[in-house]
Amino acid sequence: MTAASAAWRGARSRPAGVDAGRGALAGLVGGLAFGAAMFELGGMLPTIAGIVRSETPLAGFLVHMAVAAFVGAGFGVLVGRERIRAGEMVMWGATYGAFWWFLGALTLLPLLLGEPVLWTAEGARAGLPSLLGHLVYGVVTAVALALGLREGAPDPASPVSTAALARGVVAGMAAAAALLWILAASPALLANSGLAGGSRAILWLSGVATGGVSGAAYAALYPRPRGGGGPAMIRGLAYGVLWWVGTALTAVPLLAGEGLAWDLAAVRERTASLTGFALAGLVLVVLYRTQGALLGALFEDDPRSAEDEGAGTRVLRALGSGAAAGLAGGLLFTAVLVQVDGLPQIAGLAGARSSLVGLAVHLLIAVLIGASFAVLFRREIVDGASSLAWGLCYGAAWWFIGGLTLLPWLLGERAQWTAAGIDDGFPSLAAHLLYGAGLGIVLGALRLRSRAWWVSTTEARSERAQRQHEQLLSSVPALWAFVTLIALALPLLVAG
Amino acid sequence: MRGRLPAGPRALAGAGAGLIAGALIGTLRTGQADPAPGVAELSAGGTGLLAWLLIGPALGIVLAGLVSRGPGTAPATAATGVLLGLLVWLTWSLTLVPLLAGEEPRWSAELAVQAYGELVAATMFGGLAAVILVALDAIVPAPPARPPEVQRERPRIVILGGGFAGVSAARRLESLAPRSSRWDVTLVSRTNYLLFTPMLAEVASGAIEAQHIGAPVRAACPRTRFVRGEALDVDLDQRCVRVGAGHRQLELAYDHLVLALGSEPTHRDLPGLAEHTLTLKSLADATAVRNHAIAQLEAANGEEDAEERRRLLTFVVIGGGFAGTELLAELRDLVAKIVRFFPDVRGEAMRYVLVHSRERILPEVSPSLADFALGRLRERGIEFRLGARVAGATERGLLLEGGESIDAGTVVWTAGNQASRVVQALPFEKGPAGAVKVDTTLRVPGRDEVWAIGDCAAIPADADSLHPPTAQHALREGAALADGIAAVLGGGQPRAFRFRSIGTLVALGHRTAVAELRGRRFAGFLAWLMWRGVYLGKLPGIEKKVRVLIDWIIDLAFPRDIVLAGMTEAPQRDAEVPAEAVP
Repeated sequence: MTAASAAWRGARSRPAGVDAGRGALAGLVGGLAFGAAMFELGGMLPTIAGIVRSETPLAGFLVHMAVAAFVGAGFGVLVGRERIRAGEMVMWGATYGAFWWFLGALTLLPLLLGEPVLWTAEGARAGLPSLLGHLVYGVVTAVALALGLREGAPDPASPVSTAALARGVVAGMAAAAALLWILAASPALLANSGLAGGSRAILWLSGVATGGVSGAAYAALYPRPRGGGGPAMIRGLAYGVLWWVGTALTAVPLLAGEGLAWDLAAVRERTASLTGFALAGLVLVVLYRTQGALLGALFEDDPRSAEDEGAGTRVLRALGSGAAAGLAGGLLFTAVLVQVDGLPQIAGLAGARSSLVGLAVHLLIAVLIGASFAVLFRREIVDGASSLAWGLCYGAAWWFIGGLTLLPWLLGERAQWTAAGIDDGFPSLAAHLLYGAGLGIVLGALRLRSRAWWVSTTEARSERAQRQHEQLLSSVPALWAFVTLIALALPLLVAG
Repeated sequence: MRGRLPAGPRALAGAGAGLIAGALIGTLRTGQADPAPGVAELSAGGTGLLAWLLIGPALGIVLAGLVSRGPGTAPATAATGVLLGLLVWLTWSLTLVPLLAGEEPRWSAELAVQAYGELVAATMFGGLAAVILVALDAIVPAPPARPPEVQRERPRIVILGGGFAGVSAARRLESLAPRSSRWDVTLVSRTNYLLFTPMLAEVASGAIEAQHIGAPVRAACPRTRFVRGEALDVDLDQRCVRVGAGHRQLELAYDHLVLALGSEPTHRDLPGLAEHTLTLKSLADATAVRNHAIAQLEAANGEEDAEERRRLLTFVVIGGGFAGTELLAELRDLVAKIVRFFPDVRGEAMRYVLVHSRERILPEVSPSLADFALGRLRERGIEFRLGARVAGATERGLLLEGGESIDAGTVVWTAGNQASRVVQALPFEKGPAGAVKVDTTLRVPGRDEVWAIGDCAAIPADADSLHPPTAQHALREGAALADGIAAVLGGGQPRAFRFRSIGTLVALGHRTAVAELRGRRFAGFLAWLMWRGVYLGKLPGIEKKVRVLIDWIIDLAFPRDIVLAGMTEAPQRDAEVPAEAVP
């Protein structure tokens, strides 16, 4: 056992009080970031001060910091058993922040103020700055906990190398260039992205440079992430959304002297870059991993790969079950398509208008995506929960990739990234989520009953338990909740 | 591993968590009505609380079934709860509620915004139910681990033979006891692979690599103990089989013995056949036929004696059944495709002869299809000696009854098979070709613990006929036998084996085949496509399917390989010829 892994194991046996204390300190750091944003936005601190029957911003800030420390303590206790690694913590932090927006801003705060809970769209829209603030709070708290307040070197993961950083920079720059190319090709999208302030040259230079920074940051956060390509794609999507909040809604307007663009109107004006950033994050991760895999195949001698059954067998095995699951999910999707009369549009992909052709094309796509899901997530499906969750995440990802981007593009239209496009595409999101749920559940049922012939039942069970343990110790559950909620909550907030 | 609805205390914990969370969320929602159609009536106020109280426990049970219990599972449980809430919102608030309210669900953003309160409520419910479930899990002790099963004497089943019948029986026995080792099953086979015999002729013609039509027995029956060895004899009294496995001998005791040893070629004591003819029963046989045919072309290419060259270029197959007809057709294809490599014999007329003792080839198919095959093969230059009986073989060729001889460099015997030596030595009543007579339940009469299937068994189909020794029958016999043994071990009685042949497919080379499926007859290219499609589908294992498919694609695009791998010996006659001086 290495010193690092011993320290990591030691962290699991720490008293909860220690975790709570560290979490509280990290919460204070996160609270400062959120507090600064509230000062910038104005109006939020007096509301918080109302809890202690005051109206002054200072009282509000003190209450806010106290709450931040308390909530941070809870975070410290919750993640005390997880891998203390910055990358994992970021996702936990973001999800924890979003959760506290629901619980704190929409539920507890109104109750403490003697008002009914704010579980309405109007309440949520009014609270959008608070949601973004909670996200920032969660991420900053998580990073602070992971980087600044941890003990020793608690994670056995290898440190980030210069080569990995370089790969990240290349991937980030390429992803940013792709995003900028799409935005630049459509004036309407660029105008609704929040990035169109200066000249094209400045846009490209700053955009590609920011992409490089985001790539390097990704490499630093996830030097050797566990899990296959599928989870990495979903993580990339979430990473892109976080960068959207940090860049399009925060850094760019601040640098332009416009203040934080966190209110509903400002977010709506920047909606076009939401999907763009999400997809750029996905592309970043794919490029980063592809470079790593290519270099590994060329220059690394991993004898474990010789013990594998071979990609052909693995992929073929996965393709069959994935196609069947995709078909099942596709039938659920069909119910929505029939109801909203969407089949003729799908038929347009084959140059037709007939619903029957549309159904055939749709089911073919469903089968192909199902097969890709099985290939990408075959190692991650360890129980019913993971089947359902990964399926939902993949469905959400394909709404961004297919519903908002590829489908319109293949039909000769521009990507539906604007608020109006997202509004129109909401039935498609519901259908994609239903598809993902069906896909995940059916694939789980098929995969959990199958195994390679040379693996005994006990070995297969043990391997799944090990993978499940790995998932539980990582940020995978947070990723599930974060991606799905973002996919659903943000369109609701910006549409209509 | 979870993934199904839980039972007992776990379900109770899930229901409890769902009830508490539902009550809390329903109460908080009281007085709040979303403006979405139907949601106001069905989801808020007293009705909403009632709905949450009813749905909550059910969702709690589903949640408990999805997630695992144990240390460190709380975050995953919470995330799953939130996702479950999301799904509930999609299916309940956006789909079912509009339907119940008499409206068509549209899943529009407008409706979603109107039902936003339900989204928050549903996700909060999921998260809350998860937290309560984790807390209940912590309070309620986990059920004690199931005590290890007491090791008991397991019935021993020994299967002799790793062909279609034996492997099918082993696979079926495995599927009947998928999670436990109820039975101790041992399979003994001379080869460690299941030979896919329908493609043997293509191996002999070099269209398919030899090992691509063999599926490892260990892969086919992973939970069966496999012994690579040869059954030497059976002690019926001691219920024990003696097996030669390499340098050692094993004694395998059994409670049920399955004879699935197939058949082996018999030359019927005809003189010279064993020494001067090839057979086609194994991969080694098929490879030998291919190598021999190529070697004949090599020898003929340098042969100056025209008569000897003609002999070397004559290919004779004895037997006009499936194996013989397919083999000669494939051999013809092989020679036609590789003759370009042999410039001295390129213009020579090759001679292909099929010797058959009856008046009609392919007795397994309808006369019209047999006639089609005969005509098509004749068009390709194949001679048929129908009604001719073999008298013997010499190193120069084949002797027929009546004194006629056919000079040939290649003679392949496919005209006779018999049960293996071990089966023949058993004191059971025998049927045709020495096969053991069994009853319709596949048991040897008077010996309830001995079963026989496949080519080595004479299984009554009805009063007058037996089930034919084909792969499709052997596969079904194996499965039926396993069911029968399972029934006997369970205290029941085995059922009679019944199976009607699905059909017959015979490849005639060069994209031609004949097929008869449930009385429907096909011939020509369509039948050839059916042959390839059906047998590719039947070939065990994805990997083998892909390999054979690639072999076929390569065969379409490239000439056949003439490398004589494994044949290091030059023909004897070459050694006798003095070496020419190199100029």
